[in-house]
Amino acid sequence: MVEVNKLCDREIKTDLLIVGSEGAGGHAAIEAYKSGINILVVTKGKIGKCGASQMAGADFNVDGLAGKELGFKGDKRDSPELFFETLVREGLYLGNQKMVEKYVEYAPKVMKDLMDWGMRIFRYDSAHSEEMARGILSSGLLWVGAIRKKIKELKIPVLEDTMLIDLLISDGRIAGAVAVDITSGETILIKCKGLILATGGWHRAYPFNTGPEDLTGDGIAIAYRAGLEVVSMEMVQFCPMTLVWPPKDRGSIILYMISEADPFNKVIRLLNSEGERFMEKYDPENLEQSTKEIVSIASELEIEEGRGSPHDGIYFSLKEVRKSFIDMIIKVGTHQIKNEMKDSRYELLTLLPELLEKSKTEDIEVGNASHYMGGGIKVNEKTETSLPGLFAAGECSGGLWGAVRVASACTEAGVQGKISGEIAPNYVKNVEHAQINMKQVEEILERINKPLIRSEGISPNDLQKKMHEVSGKALGLIKHNSLLEEAVKNLNLLLEDDIERLCVTSTKSRQLNYEWLRSIELRNMLTCLFLSASASLIRKESRGEFYHKDYSFTDHDNWLKIIVMRCIDGDLDVKFEKPVVTKISLPKGKLTSQEAIRVATASLKRE
Amino acid sequence: MEKKDSINVKCFRFDPKKNEKPYYDTFEVPLNGTMSVQDCLTYIRENLDPSLAFFINCRLGFCKRCLVKVNGKSCLACLTEVEEDFLIEPVLKNKVIRDLWIKDL
Repeated sequence: MVEVNKLCDREIKTDLLIVGSEGAGGHAAIEAYKSGINILVVTKGKIGKCGASQMAGADFNVDGLAGKELGFKGDKRDSPELFFETLVREGLYLGNQKMVEKYVEYAPKVMKDLMDWGMRIFRYDSAHSEEMARGILSSGLLWVGAIRKKIKELKIPVLEDTMLIDLLISDGRIAGAVAVDITSGETILIKCKGLILATGGWHRAYPFNTGPEDLTGDGIAIAYRAGLEVVSMEMVQFCPMTLVWPPKDRGSIILYMISEADPFNKVIRLLNSEGERFMEKYDPENLEQSTKEIVSIASELEIEEGRGSPHDGIYFSLKEVRKSFIDMIIKVGTHQIKNEMKDSRYELLTLLPELLEKSKTEDIEVGNASHYMGGGIKVNEKTETSLPGLFAAGECSGGLWGAVRVASACTEAGVQGKISGEIAPNYVKNVEHAQINMKQVEEILERINKPLIRSEGISPNDLQKKMHEVSGKALGLIKHNSLLEEAVKNLNLLLEDDIERLCVTSTKSRQLNYEWLRSIELRNMLTCLFLSASASLIRKESRGEFYHKDYSFTDHDNWLKIIVMRCIDGDLDVKFEKPVVTKISLPKGKLTSQEAIRVATASLKRE
Repeated sequence: MEKKDSINVKCFRFDPKKNEKPYYDTFEVPLNGTMSVQDCLTYIRENLDPSLAFFINCRLGFCKRCLVKVNGKSCLACLTEVEEDFLIEPVLKNKVIRDLWIKDL
């Protein structure tokens, strides 16, 4: 139903609005469809061609017993209880145990859905380095392809190339949202009873990241602006061995993806600019096969201490490997990918052989790129936020993992998507549409229009450069007190001053206006960075993937707490909460962060 | 052959709402390391002309929405390496929304 509204160019009414169409949002839509309510999916790109899901490796996790029940080899030594324990322990105890229980419970249901929808699976194995085989390997494209096919089959309405701007709240519950059609520039007022945010992370706020262009933290920043709580914003995962150079390949994690697989795991050397195999210093026993967080921290420390490569990386080396062996890997690997996996991914079929060929004569520059956002909108195990009618699923939500993303984020997206798709319709069925507060709509439109109206000010390109300078300098893997203090101050200034001076100059047309859209995204990215920097400055310890150079201890006595943030009258309000515990009690004591990781992952050795 | 320090990118421009017919702009883009067509377009948009409309998202051949014509041949902008001057146009000129962004990409 489309009506004309005098403030927005278009108006749409639905029962349940789902923002995001991929691993989390798409799964939510298919689940919610079963309830018979009206659904509308709004997505920033085209379905199956946007967000991070398409780029995933992609591995899914289920416990070994569930694996067996799904028809895979499985592992009868495993159980849901053991999987739960692994997730809580390796997450260094910050994870919400009720949410972890749901992850374990729903993981097999999600797998079953995806298999029913036709997602092809390459093989069953341990995709992460757990002691048990818990991994199911497919690809991001096969994953989103299956979801897209199902959504089309069910004829679920999808509004593509449409960006969420802000939430509309009336009488203390969700009333709707304002969105912009990217290609026409038209504003859309969407009235709804319930809304699921599945908008992903804020990767593009960092100069070096593994995400696609559309991940600008929209859902998280929008929720924060609306007064909702966000949690664990300091928990940003960095992916080691990401290509830093040349520009064409920058951000690809293909070398990381193969680094755990046989035979690469035995032959890879990580070297600093002095040619030293530096992992000998940080983890002499496991070397390059140490945990993801220890390899990341070690390589970043080398770079910080001046032993990095020209483009701020370290070297991935296969020079000790015989050239004929590399030729063999290329031949066998390409055959497997093409004929056995029937996979046509550029990264596997073209880029990987190119890199292996290159590695015969030169080492490859790799580094730590921002990869997964552990923090996000505060939800409970039912994906409910504190605002009635608002739900959040996938990477834009926070609280599941604690201090390490221990297992598959694809499974997380599916689990939370499916739960939100079950829960939200129950809410929606029992309420009427809330009255839209037109003053709210007016304020939102006035705010986003300002950069188009101003005749002078700062350009979105210049502000983006400033933002990347701050995040590149202070919000990388290794945190420093002094740099964080400076970053918080600078980000505050950019948010309060520069954002209010943004000016779109190249064209005032709203149609496909990069500068205008970027000006909206910049506010979101800067908000996420500000929250992440502020939380990082507050947490005076190191834990899992969060590494603070000035506080390198993991302090169970004082820091087993979640940093919860929200916006009150435009100001940041911070409080602490104890992690939600169901079965595993929280440890005590103080250890070096490396010891803490080792204790947490002590049972990782596979027989 | 010696590698060039910079190349000229001749770019199709067209706003059906404003222009009667398409025209071409040429931009000088510095080459720094192996760059793709998309790296050049991003450089143009971030440094020379922010009004240039083109599609970019995954940058690694997943979404396949950055389809363009380079020197008359269809290709994905993110996967196409460049070393020499090139001409860039939309894949379907009659479907242009603006510049290189066409309907149904």
